[in-house]
Amino acid sequence: MDLSLETRHEDGHTIIEVGGEIDVYTAPRLRDKITELVSDGNYNLVIDMEKVDFLDSTGLGVLVGGLKKVRAHDGSMRLICNQERLLKIFRITGLAKVFAIHSSQADALADL
Amino acid sequence: MSAGAARTATAVTVTIARDPALVRTVRLVAASVARRTNKDEEFVEEVRLAAGEACALLLGQSFADGSVAPGEPVAVRISFNDTLAVDVSTSGPVDVVDHPDSDVDGVEPWALLRGLIDDFSVGQDGDVTTVSMSWPL
Repeated sequence: MDLSLETRHEDGHTIIEVGGEIDVYTAPRLRDKITELVSDGNYNLVIDMEKVDFLDSTGLGVLVGGLKKVRAHDGSMRLICNQERLLKIFRITGLAKVFAIHSSQADALADL
Repeated sequence: MSAGAARTATAVTVTIARDPALVRTVRLVAASVARRTNKDEEFVEEVRLAAGEACALLLGQSFADGSVAPGEPVAVRISFNDTLAVDVSTSGPVDVVDHPDSDVDGVEPWALLRGLIDDFSVGQDGDVTTVSMSWPL
């Protein structure tokens, strides 16, 4: 499955719903989307990964890059992920401690 | 291997051109072979991730280096008998460590692979670099 990206705004946050596979081929599209949103002044991002089937180190790099971008504007990036296979990758790389990872959009938006 | 679950040695080799879009194909093949071992989905997922990461790393390394011809392929051999083995190889110089200034925003892909796979090695045979990974069955 290819990458799908849907963006909407809610409670002052920009939610990006990502679906499919984030890998060496598709990750640049996610990077471009985050860059575009930050350039447009959206500094509080929520990346919903509930429909992500696959994530590799390139995808992780894009997420870390996005986090750096929003933090440069005193913004935030929250992740929504409740799939164990993805959470395992965040733990192995030590990124589980870097990102605020929530289990649902309601949980992420409630913790503002 | 449980008694009665007869298993024959299997090997699949996929060779791809230097196109990141084709890494997904390698992952699909790796997952398909991994499923034949009758192990759980967590195992299949680990093999899928490892095969894709190794493949993407060798593709990316050669792109960055610039000294490898664009058409130089990456070969992935997936085999299982008593172990499931994934060997990913390509020719040309390959940097097999993570550098702080590499363009991955602080994520260390080689570290991810080494952390993920217990039996992981990188071999050099002349001009060919091979990333070898295996899992006991």
